[in-house]
Amino acid sequence: MTDTAAGPAPEYVIPHHPIREALTGSVASIAFTFAVVVIVGLLWVGPKFVSFGNVSIMGTFLILPLIVGACSGFALMAGVVDLSIGSMVGFSSALFALLLLNGWDVWLAGAVTILVCLAMGSITAAAVVGFGADAIAASLGMLTALRGLTWFLVGGQALFAFHPGLFAVVNQQVFGLPLFFLLAILLTLIATYVATKTRLGRHVKAVGGDDRAAARAGISVKRIRTFALLLSALGASIGGIILVGQLGSAALATGTGLEFQVYAALMIGGYSILRGGVGNPIGGALGLLAVAGVANILELKAISPYYVNIIIGLLLLAAVLLDRLRGGDAFE
Amino acid sequence: MSLDRAIESAPQTDATPRRFNLGGWGTGLTLLAVWLLLIAATGFYRADFLSHQTMLAIAFTMSIVGVLAIGQGIVAMSGGFIDLSQPSGLILSNLVIVRLAEAGMPLPVLIVAAVLTGMAWGFINASIIVFAKLNPVIVTLGTNFIGLAGLFLVFQLAQVPLGSDIHALGRTSHLGLPAIWWPMAILILIVGFLVPRTRYGRRMIAVGGNRAAAQARGISLKATRFATFIAAGGFVGLAAVLFASSAGPFNASSANSMQLNVIAAVILAGISLAGGRGSFWMLLLSVGFLSTIPTSLVFFGFASDRQLIFQGLILVVAVAIDGYRARKGSP
Repeated sequence: MTDTAAGPAPEYVIPHHPIREALTGSVASIAFTFAVVVIVGLLWVGPKFVSFGNVSIMGTFLILPLIVGACSGFALMAGVVDLSIGSMVGFSSALFALLLLNGWDVWLAGAVTILVCLAMGSITAAAVVGFGADAIAASLGMLTALRGLTWFLVGGQALFAFHPGLFAVVNQQVFGLPLFFLLAILLTLIATYVATKTRLGRHVKAVGGDDRAAARAGISVKRIRTFALLLSALGASIGGIILVGQLGSAALATGTGLEFQVYAALMIGGYSILRGGVGNPIGGALGLLAVAGVANILELKAISPYYVNIIIGLLLLAAVLLDRLRGGDAFE
Repeated sequence: MSLDRAIESAPQTDATPRRFNLGGWGTGLTLLAVWLLLIAATGFYRADFLSHQTMLAIAFTMSIVGVLAIGQGIVAMSGGFIDLSQPSGLILSNLVIVRLAEAGMPLPVLIVAAVLTGMAWGFINASIIVFAKLNPVIVTLGTNFIGLAGLFLVFQLAQVPLGSDIHALGRTSHLGLPAIWWPMAILILIVGFLVPRTRYGRRMIAVGGNRAAAQARGISLKATRFATFIAAGGFVGLAAVLFASSAGPFNASSANSMQLNVIAAVILAGISLAGGRGSFWMLLLSVGFLSTIPTSLVFFGFASDRQLIFQGLILVVAVAIDGYRARKGSP
């Protein structure tokens, strides 16, 4: 951090208790929740729940949320929520599929898709960072605009752009688990390292925690928030491209509601969409795994998926309550 | 987060001297000019746009969005940010209306039941917000999620019985405008008149503008939160009456698309999401302008997918202006 204090700083010794932090920190409650989900799954569904086959299925569906969550988590940490990620995934997959259909090279199509998505993300960033628009409302507008663009690009119900090479790479299995699932977990670990151990990560958290204090400490609030919003768009665009590789198509409804799914899980995992500066990519990933576990248990038990939404909604409210009890700001 | 920042900076607005004092009518004049420009441009491009048919289409869209915007405006003005659970509340009230209409209940009973259902929904939201001390945005996001999932479990498709009183209401018109347009316009005029002129309305604005100062003067924040969310729920219930009377078969997600228009209308009307500012009368103009866009785009030959793009971009621009105004400190 930038040292702006004049004269010798008073020496505060902050006691460091790794074990106590592990039990009371933001990751603790989600690790506990995750363990409960696994135990419930084992008891109710049986050993099948943790079999390679079942975990592999869950992992396949988790690739997209994990990548999007790791990137958008930085926007949450910087105090600017990006609600447009679900539509961005849809837009990215539609554009990428359309370019593939027109005979573009995979690499070129991917690069162009990512650039266009970053351009769209920079519109949100300009409104939020440049004009001081409320991030929730501005990204809600971008959500709608991107959904319209997706609709425009897809035209009918879906674009079928099966690419054998891409399909083979994306659906590759390593040690009985999807390769990209392992890569997504690797990305989560990298994100955790960046968020907790690097100057950039600390700047992001400082900006999210108190932007005025961060500005006084010499951090460019605008630059950090723009970076965070663009990273969020980048994650969603990569997610959309991988989705096309997985499915071989892009549909009108691709990515619809993904933002709620991801943010509910991230909030359960210790992030907050109302105050920046908190959260940890590992906690977010565990939140996604826990929600996926709940959905998987209900699916194996053949229970209506709407109950999953009710449970996610209740978990979301419980998570924000926990966040407040842990030191988050009380409303009024 | 920028919402909190906006709250901190909002109360200082009156300190800034203004060169041209339009008495708060600047927003209205801008809106009116943009709206007329849109109508003129579309009419110039396609003369048949300026027809009674167009007016009816716009008035129908205005009715439901307008009543929902009153509720949303009350929440925003009192410092409750946004009520994201309006779609759930609307469909819940609609379901009550349909079930009662199927049982042959008369129209007044339906209206009272719908309003009470909406108020009960608002009471649930307010209870969580007040007792758990959680931010309304998150609470209503969660209750909407739960509510929609629950509604999907309860019913697939519903519609008021054909030929019932409420079904007829959606198909009558007074003075050349749909019957459901008038309640919306009258409610906006009444609420816009009462809010700055009554004690309760002023208290609401005071809490939204500066909650600490309002509390210091003895205004209960909890009571305000309950009152505003229950009142907003009541308006959602009224909107449900208009929706049920004019809409075809609907399912649990039928109201989701309205959410964005309602929020955009509130922001464009100058009712800042930061609270404490704005006039409800402006809603007539902003709702009218936003409701003209879909019809206008159709006349320009754009497919409906283009409407979403426009709606979304308009919201981005509107909140950018809102943020800019809050930052500059001039209303």
